Amino acid sequence: MSVGYSAEHDQLRRVVREFLSQKSPSRQVRRLMEAGESRDDEVWALLTGQLGLSGIAVPEEYGGSGYGPVELGIVLEEMGRALLVAPYFGTVALAGQALAASGDTEAMRRWLPGIADGSLTAALAVAEDSGSWDLTDVTAAAEPVAEPTGGWAVTGTKLFVVDGDTADLLLVVARAPDGPGVFAVEGAAAGVDRARLDTLDLTRALASVTLQGAPATRVGADRDATEWLAEVTNLVLAALAAEQIGGAARCLDLAVEYAKVRQQFGRPIGSFQAIKHKCANLLLEVESGRSAVYHASAAVAGHQPDAALAAALAYAYCSQAFTHAAKECIQIHGGIGYTWEHDAHLYLRRAKSSELLFGPPARQRTRLAELAGI
Amino acid sequence: MTVERAATATAAEPDDAFRARLREFFTAHHPGRAPKDARERLAWAKAWLATLFDSGYAGPSWPREFGGMELPFAHQVIYHEEAARARVPGPLGTGLNIAAPTIIKYGTQQQKQRWLAPMLRGDTVWAQGYSEPDAGSDLPSLRTTARRDREEYVVTGQKVWTSHASDADIFFALVRTGTRESRQQGITYLVIDAHAPGVEVRPLRDLTGGHLFAEVFFDGVRVPVSDRIGEENGGWQLARTSLGHERSAGALNQAAMYRRVLTELEELARERGQLADPLVRDRFVDLEIRVRIIRYNAERTIGGILARGEAGATSSISRLLITAFEQDIHEFAVDLLGPAGLLGKSAPQSVQRSRWLQGFLRTRASTIGAGTREIQLNTVAEQVLGLPHDPGMPPR
Repeated sequence: MSVGYSAEHDQLRRVVREFLSQKSPSRQVRRLMEAGESRDDEVWALLTGQLGLSGIAVPEEYGGSGYGPVELGIVLEEMGRALLVAPYFGTVALAGQALAASGDTEAMRRWLPGIADGSLTAALAVAEDSGSWDLTDVTAAAEPVAEPTGGWAVTGTKLFVVDGDTADLLLVVARAPDGPGVFAVEGAAAGVDRARLDTLDLTRALASVTLQGAPATRVGADRDATEWLAEVTNLVLAALAAEQIGGAARCLDLAVEYAKVRQQFGRPIGSFQAIKHKCANLLLEVESGRSAVYHASAAVAGHQPDAALAAALAYAYCSQAFTHAAKECIQIHGGIGYTWEHDAHLYLRRAKSSELLFGPPARQRTRLAELAGI
Repeated sequence: MTVERAATATAAEPDDAFRARLREFFTAHHPGRAPKDARERLAWAKAWLATLFDSGYAGPSWPREFGGMELPFAHQVIYHEEAARARVPGPLGTGLNIAAPTIIKYGTQQQKQRWLAPMLRGDTVWAQGYSEPDAGSDLPSLRTTARRDREEYVVTGQKVWTSHASDADIFFALVRTGTRESRQQGITYLVIDAHAPGVEVRPLRDLTGGHLFAEVFFDGVRVPVSDRIGEENGGWQLARTSLGHERSAGALNQAAMYRRVLTELEELARERGQLADPLVRDRFVDLEIRVRIIRYNAERTIGGILARGEAGATSSISRLLITAFEQDIHEFAVDLLGPAGLLGKSAPQSVQRSRWLQGFLRTRASTIGAGTREIQLNTVAEQVLGLPHDPGMPPR
């Protein structure tokens, strides 16, 4: 109930929106997209330095500002609106939140300050060929390396790794002899081969990461990885849902703006009931999705008993809402919406990619049924 | 009339203390189950409203001057929560929710004194006379006329879909005092004695087979000019008055009620061994998502009002979500039951006294009454999204 109502949250939202409208307008998004770049260095420096956004969910003792999923959600909602091209989601929402949840002080001391100040980018590598984020489907293996070298060696192939082609640090989920674990691998280490995948979403890089005995440090060895990663899943789903609803809201805005000015039959198309009803129905979904996201990020932040369910629900709902909004945005724009030059397809690409990123929707819904006790 | 003002004595009462006091009151005075006979049920509901009023527990959002509690919004929310929890009867007729805010804001002092307390106490039941056979979604085209004759209006015409008309003592009605073409500019808000000569109520049988609403005929009914609210031809603007955010105060209970209904349906499906079917489960997931979102929306609406005095966009969409939900859950339940879902109340084999089938039929009205879904979507599109009005339609 507390989400989105404090003056501080309003202020954060305003600052991020203003920043992105200046620094990440459509032409900037398109420039990076066409060049296949993962970020604009100057924008990244401002975003992480001056605005301190990469440290928003990092505890203060590790150089962050000590906020959590609620504030991160607000930032991601705005980034989703703007389709920001930057390794923010992979570094902050995925790897950063996973590290902060690990309880591994050594690992946090080593990497979180870099994430917080923007000098380090990171990726979380879970899925493989199957695309599944279930630990039981992980086949990559980690073996302890004998002294004096010590540490671990990881072998396997990860797929669909968000920002995995450029990340300085890879957090790789692999099977150790004692069960699943998380292993930190330097992106530039020997035995690491990675490549950006040719995928639908042109504004977010997904990579394949092949590891062959890559040297690694185990993270969160003291924690049961299954339990820890379940918590990470909640954090990540709530974060992605926030980004999705920002994108959906932007699609609705674009459609409404266009429907107000586009004239056919001598009147704005937005005066036709068929268009009005499409837009009003999208508003229902966008506002419902927002409510789900705000509830989920508060539940996850507060470790509420319904955190897992709330996060899964927000993701399932916002996945549909975003994809629907992106499709209707194209439809309401008509021919112009089908062109490469119009941004509508960039949102459709992001929407469908986000919807499928953590596995097929049917699987998400099955999981939701289990969590809800149905 | 000496009224104990126990409930409103302490404005700064802490939430918990207020909640405890309400809970105690509702428990101590609970009227028990509703009688089956319609006449007895009316008396039972009136007795409860009188108990509330006489003890100072009626009208959470109303001014104290007229017997209300004048609660701050947060306490209104608690009030509705506790009333729902105790399952005490709700208001009678539609006057409390629809006519009262208009009277409180626009009535004369004399009108307020005369009408408000008896309405709140349940001594008079009020029903709405807005819709007509040819004026449904297009309400500004209404044709029931009120001709001025010195200090009286003479009202002639027909209203329809009037809920609670058979129990009503008073109709609050929109009538035409301007020319036929005057639309919104020629409408007046009148309060009409339901027992006056020339008033005839004909119950309408609805598709469920029941008689919830009626047609009301006015044939030369004489109404004192002093029973007009606001100016002559100034009634349209008054018709949609609400008191602050009182309508949002009960939003959480509605959400809780549907939560309960969905849980009951899940239990039924479980008992019947149908929950293992993945198609059935997926339908339940859909309803589960929606029922929770209805609650999250209600929380956001109420949170917004508490934090910044604004209900926000969620308040305008909640009705659209709820009405679609209640239609879908009942139809899904009937589908789930298969042929057994078709059995009526009196069939000995009927499941849960045919509640789901009754709901399936009853909720056809959900997307029609108080504005069709189509008209509400237009309103959301124009008022929230700012899309242009249809130039082919008369102005709003």
